Amino acid sequence: MYAYDTYDHAMVNARVAEFRDQVERRVKGELTEDEFKPLRLMNGLYLQLHAYMLRVAIPYGTLSANQMRTLAHIARKYDKGYSHFTTRQNVQFNWPKLSETPDILQELADVEMHAIQTSGNCIRNVTTDQFAGATADEVADPRPYAELIRQWSTFHPEFSFLPRKFKIAITGAKQDRAAVKWHDIGLVVKENAAGDIGFEVLAGGGMGRTPLIAKPMRDFLPVEDLLSYLEAMLRVYNEQGRRDNKYKARIKILVDAMGIEEYTRQVEAEWEKIRHIPIDVPAAEVARIKSFFAPPPLAVLADEVPDVDDLAQKNFIFKSWLANNTGSHKVPGYVNVTISLKPHGGIPGDASDEQMDLVADLADSYSQSEIRVSHEQNLILPHVARRDLPALWSKLDAAGLGSPNAGLLTDIIACPGLDYCALANTRSIPIAQSITERFDDLKRLMDIGPLKIKISGCINSCGHHHAGHIGILGVDRKGTENYQLLLGGSGAEDASKAEILGPGLDEHGIVDAIEKVVAVYLGEREDGEEFLSAYRRLGADIFKEAVYGTH
Amino acid sequence: MALINLTSIQPTGYTVLDDGAVPGEGENVAIGVDRLLHEGDAFFATAGSVGVIIDTETPFAKLTQIVEKIGFAIVDFPAFADGRGFSLAVRLRKDFGFKGEIRATGPVIPDQALFLLRAGFDTVETTDARKPAFEAALERFPAFYQTDFGGQLSVAHARHTQGGQITEEQRLSRKAPERQREAS
Ligand code: SF4
Repeated sequence: MYAYDTYDHAMVNARVAEFRDQVERRVKGELTEDEFKPLRLMNGLYLQLHAYMLRVAIPYGTLSANQMRTLAHIARKYDKGYSHFTTRQNVQFNWPKLSETPDILQELADVEMHAIQTSGNCIRNVTTDQFAGATADEVADPRPYAELIRQWSTFHPEFSFLPRKFKIAITGAKQDRAAVKWHDIGLVVKENAAGDIGFEVLAGGGMGRTPLIAKPMRDFLPVEDLLSYLEAMLRVYNEQGRRDNKYKARIKILVDAMGIEEYTRQVEAEWEKIRHIPIDVPAAEVARIKSFFAPPPLAVLADEVPDVDDLAQKNFIFKSWLANNTGSHKVPGYVNVTISLKPHGGIPGDASDEQMDLVADLADSYSQSEIRVSHEQNLILPHVARRDLPALWSKLDAAGLGSPNAGLLTDIIACPGLDYCALANTRSIPIAQSITERFDDLKRLMDIGPLKIKISGCINSCGHHHAGHIGILGVDRKGTENYQLLLGGSGAEDASKAEILGPGLDEHGIVDAIEKVVAVYLGEREDGEEFLSAYRRLGADIFKEAVYGTH
Repeated sequence: MALINLTSIQPTGYTVLDDGAVPGEGENVAIGVDRLLHEGDAFFATAGSVGVIIDTETPFAKLTQIVEKIGFAIVDFPAFADGRGFSLAVRLRKDFGFKGEIRATGPVIPDQALFLLRAGFDTVETTDARKPAFEAALERFPAFYQTDFGGQLSVAHARHTQGGQITEEQRLSRKAPERQREAS
């Protein structure tokens, strides 16, 4: 993985000193709260319902075992012994003291981590496929390009005060696990006929109260033009994005209003003017960054491992875990393991300090000391030898990390909701807990198959309900918590926007409704047909009838 | 009121001209974009250096006709978080090759000092109380990840020209008044 050089170290250390100074000036009253707010946000520090929350970046979702240990240490020393992995490859600490945050940032800087631009109206942490560099279905590892973008976007002198937050996602695989079409800018790594690497460029996606799927701008942008093209995209947005209404300030609104053709025309015109300025980095720099992401030296192993098959025959839980939580790797004999942070009845995305320490140790033993974080709020151990799976699984299972539900109905994305968030209408976490308790039968879950439920506690959509096969949106109905049910969304390469099925339901009604929806699917599905395909074929009416009994 | 000099330029002393008022002989004055577009030769013959006050609603294309006529420019931020001001300075340097003083006015904050410098500003008006914080902020970062319009090359370029070390010369070069700029 990427290792900081003297420049990178100097930058994060300078940032820590700067933030320490900002906190002191705020405490002394030299900075007003209005002035301090965007500064702390650009360091990932939010004011939540009960306390400050610190959001730390996990650039493109890659962590070393040592970095994970530092996160565990921070959870223990500065927080209540746990942390929360988010839908954008960040990790959040919910109870830090303002006065201690500079120290936390210093501990992070010491292991090459930071909280830079994890919030605020600036370019956020670039996200990508959690299996990048390890998956069999990939054109090229997208992480070197994500690192290029990370550096270019860090403390950008012109784009640190944008109309609104700005999120870029990049994938290198055919299957889109990074939800690139739901981002302000989506990039898809491609290879042209000449074998050169480039990107399909999409713009104007986003959730919130106006969900829009990103539109294509360019089919192939060569690597050497990436940063200048992004600069042109950001400049046009910075100048013309709306600043009069924060709900209309995202790039999706600008692109929708002017049309993708006009936006593209203006970007291309600006790009022609700047593409010869040294914005794009020398080829040697791309090569330098790429060298950090060279695949680990794995000896090819046999895919068939009798021990694994034996255990799978005897143990249905292990068999399910094998089916759901392991995925194909580039190298024969290896898999990528998803560690589900969705135990039934638990809080989606939370991990205790002991669990984090354990994952770090397991990474040292089984996955080249590497850990990934997925936007679905799970952890991944890449490059695991198949023959190690029984031992790995039993250690995970003993620590409550062996849930075999990756990709299944109970692998729920949920935002923090009213338990933490000052903007929330409703709770999200307890709804996720009720659903996982209702669907606690593993055989039934396996029978239902892949089904993504995503829950947001308000229209800001941090729980990505618009992209859920089943989405749940918390709304306030005359002071009571109420939940809308949406169906048919997708965050994958076939991105689609979930549609509201009918009137909102209370916290019990919503769980009953999910059962009814699932029952319709089970009754109507064709052989091997997954939930989303069945919904698309059947249409909403039959589900509506089942949930609301309308005629 | 304090003036922060980011680039060691010789700052312009000027009067902001009221609507309808005329400049004295050789007087340095600043006026808004629309008025500047309407003033004739006599105005420019009388005044000394003429500056334009650009508000952040101004589309950059409008600057095309005025850059020839001005000696200095003032970008007036209505709020420190109005990031259009940074792009306006970039446009002046990059698209129009403007080499005169660009000043920031309005409620910009010390923590933006380097952003201002690197977007192409020379000077910033602020309160006396904020002068030390502005000056401290200018010293904050040793290098930058972007090539900028203050003449600084990005870290990515420096890595392959300077053997990976931040030299004192590089660190200070961002303060040099002479900038290398791309011809537009
Ligand atoms: S979706 Fe709403 S309630 Fe949930 S975390 Fe985001 S802002 Fe808070």
